[in-house]
Amino acid sequence: MIQAHQLHKAFKTRTGTIKAVDGVDFRADDGRITGLLGPNGAGKTTALRMLYTLMKPDSGRITVDGIDAAADPAGVRRILGVLPDARGVYKRLTARENIAYFGELHGLSRATIASRVEALATQLDMHDILDRRTEGFSQGQRTKTAIARALVHDPRNVILDEPTNGLDVMTTRAMREFLLKLRDQGRCVIFSSHIMQEVAALCDRIVIISRGQVVAAGSADELRARFNETNLEDAFVRAIGSEEGLHA
Amino acid sequence: MSAGFVNSMLSVMRKELRDIGRDRRTLALALLMGPLLYPLMLLGISSLGEMRAKTQLESELELPVIGAERAPNLMAFLASQRIRAVDPPADVAAAIASQEVDVVLEVSETFDADWRAGRPASVVLVSDDTRRNARVPAGRVRGALQAYAGQVASLRLVARGIDPSIARPLGVGSRNLASEEATRGMVLSMILPYLLILSSFLGGAYLILDATAGERERQSLEPLLATPAARGAIVSGKMMAACALGLFALLLTLLAFKLTAQLAESARMLDVSFAAMARMLLVLLPMLFIGTALLSLLAASAKSMKEAQSHMVWLMLLPMVPAFILMVNPVRAEMWQFTVPFLAQNQMLLKVIRAEPIDPATWAVYLGAALALALALWLGAVGRYRQEKLAVSA
Repeated sequence: MIQAHQLHKAFKTRTGTIKAVDGVDFRADDGRITGLLGPNGAGKTTALRMLYTLMKPDSGRITVDGIDAAADPAGVRRILGVLPDARGVYKRLTARENIAYFGELHGLSRATIASRVEALATQLDMHDILDRRTEGFSQGQRTKTAIARALVHDPRNVILDEPTNGLDVMTTRAMREFLLKLRDQGRCVIFSSHIMQEVAALCDRIVIISRGQVVAAGSADELRARFNETNLEDAFVRAIGSEEGLHA
Repeated sequence: MSAGFVNSMLSVMRKELRDIGRDRRTLALALLMGPLLYPLMLLGISSLGEMRAKTQLESELELPVIGAERAPNLMAFLASQRIRAVDPPADVAAAIASQEVDVVLEVSETFDADWRAGRPASVVLVSDDTRRNARVPAGRVRGALQAYAGQVASLRLVARGIDPSIARPLGVGSRNLASEEATRGMVLSMILPYLLILSSFLGGAYLILDATAGERERQSLEPLLATPAARGAIVSGKMMAACALGLFALLLTLLAFKLTAQLAESARMLDVSFAAMARMLLVLLPMLFIGTALLSLLAASAKSMKEAQSHMVWLMLLPMVPAFILMVNPVRAEMWQFTVPFLAQNQMLLKVIRAEPIDPATWAVYLGAALALALALWLGAVGRYRQEKLAVSA
C-alpha cells in the first residue's frame, strides 16, 4: 500500500519558481490498480518520482507498506518496482543481462535471479528476445525488458510511469493484461497516463491531477456520476476545468 | 562499509567492464593507443636525435673556407680532424640563411703576414647560432681551431726555450657528475613523464564519461538510481571499473616501453628494469585515482555528454603545466613539490628515470598528498551523485 500525504515540490527555473506538485494526496491499496490521470505537465512524473524516492518532497509524507520514504529511502526502493519515465536499457547487454544486473543490485542470489527471469519472461512473453543484445530492440521489446528489470525482485508495490507510451495496439493490450495479472497477484499498482481509455479500462481507482493538485479521485463510475457525464473523457475535462492537454 | 554496499559496487563494476568489453573498437583504442603509440613516438624521436648527433660528430665535415690558400697548414690540421675544406659559396650570408651550409670559415687577407710576424692571425667562424643544426658543426670547427692554436702556441714557446706550461696559470678541467643513467634519460625526461602522467590521468576517461554523462543521456540512470543500491556504491563501482581499465592500459604502456627499449638500440636511454617499472606504476596509481574521480565529478556535473567531453581539452593540457614551468624555471627538488599534483608526479618519475634513490619520507609525503586529493575528489563525486538534479535527465 502506498500513501501520499500533502506532497509539495517546487523547482526553481530562470523564469521563477514552478510548483510542479502542489498538495497531492492519495492512497493506493493492495490488489488495486490506481491510475494517475492528468494532462501533460500536470505533475504526474514528479509525483511518481517522489514516490520512488528519486526526489525529496519539499513537504509532505510518503509511506510504502508503512515505511516512511524520507526516513528509509533504500527500504522503500527495496519493496518498489519502478518503471520510470526514462527507461533506457543497456544496449550492449542482452535482455537477460539487463534484468540480472538489477537483480544483483537488489541483492538477489544468482539462483533467485535465474528463476525470476524465467517467470517474468513467460509472463511478458519475451523468451525469444531474452538472449539478444538490446541494441536494435523495438520500443515494445525495450519496454518489456525495462518492466522485467523493474520487477525482478518480485515487489509488492509497482509504479509505472506511462507504461504504454509509444507501444502499438497489440503490445498495449498485452501490457494491460500484464497489469491486471499484477493486480490479481495482490500487488499495489500505480500507473500514470494521459490516455483516457486506458485508465478507464484498467483502473479500480482514478486520481485526476491537474496543475500539481488532485482535482478528483474515485472509480470511473464515481467520477462519471460526480461530474454528471456519461463519458469519462467529459468528466475528466470537467474535472480539470479546461480542455488543456487533451490533444497533446 | 556493509556487505550490501560492496556487493553493489562490485556488480556495477562488473557490468561496466562487461559493457565496455563488448565495445571492441573503443576498448582497442583505449587499451592499445597508449601502449603502441607512445613508445613508437618516443623511440622515434630519440633515435632521430641520436642519428643526427652521430652523423654530425663522426662523419667528415665539409667546411666551406674563404681564402683556404692563405693557410695551408691550418687546412692540413683541420683535415686531420676530419674537417675538409671546400670552396665557399658565392654569397655566404644567403647560403647560411637558406641553410645550404651550416658553417663557413673565413681566413683573413692578412693571415699569412700576421702569422709570420707572430701577431694573432684572424679567422672568422660564420654561422647562425639560432639554428640547432649548426651548433654541432660550429662547435667542432671551433674546437679544432682552439686545438691548433694551442698546439702552435706551445711549439712557439718551446722554440724560445720556455716551458709552455708557464702560459697556462690555470689548469681547468671539468668533471661531469651527471650519472650515466641521467645523461641517457635527458631526452626522455622531457616527454616521458608527460606521456605517462597523461595516460594515467585520463586512462579511464572514456569509460567514466560514458558511464556517467552517457548513462544519463541514454536514460538508464534513473532506473538505476531507483534500485536500493547506495549511490555511493554505484559511483564507486563505476570509478573502480574505470580505474581497472586505466590500470590495464598503464601496465600495457609500461610493458610496451620495456619491450621496445629492449628491442631497439636506444635501450640504453631508459631504465627499464622491472623494479623501475614497478616504481613508476606506484607513482602513477594515485594519478589514475585522481583523474578518474575528477572526471566522475565533472561528468556528473555536466548537463550532457558533449559538455562532459569538452572538459577533455583542458584536462589534457593540465599535466603539461609543470613540465613547462620546469623548462622555463628549473627548481630544486624540495619536499613541498611532492604535494602538488602533476608537479609531484613529474618529479617522482624523473627520479625513477634517472635511477635516483627516493627516500621513504618522500614516498610518504607523495603518496599521502596524492591519495588525500583522490579521496577528496571521490567524496565530491559521491556527493554529486547524491544530488537530486543528477538523476533527472533533461
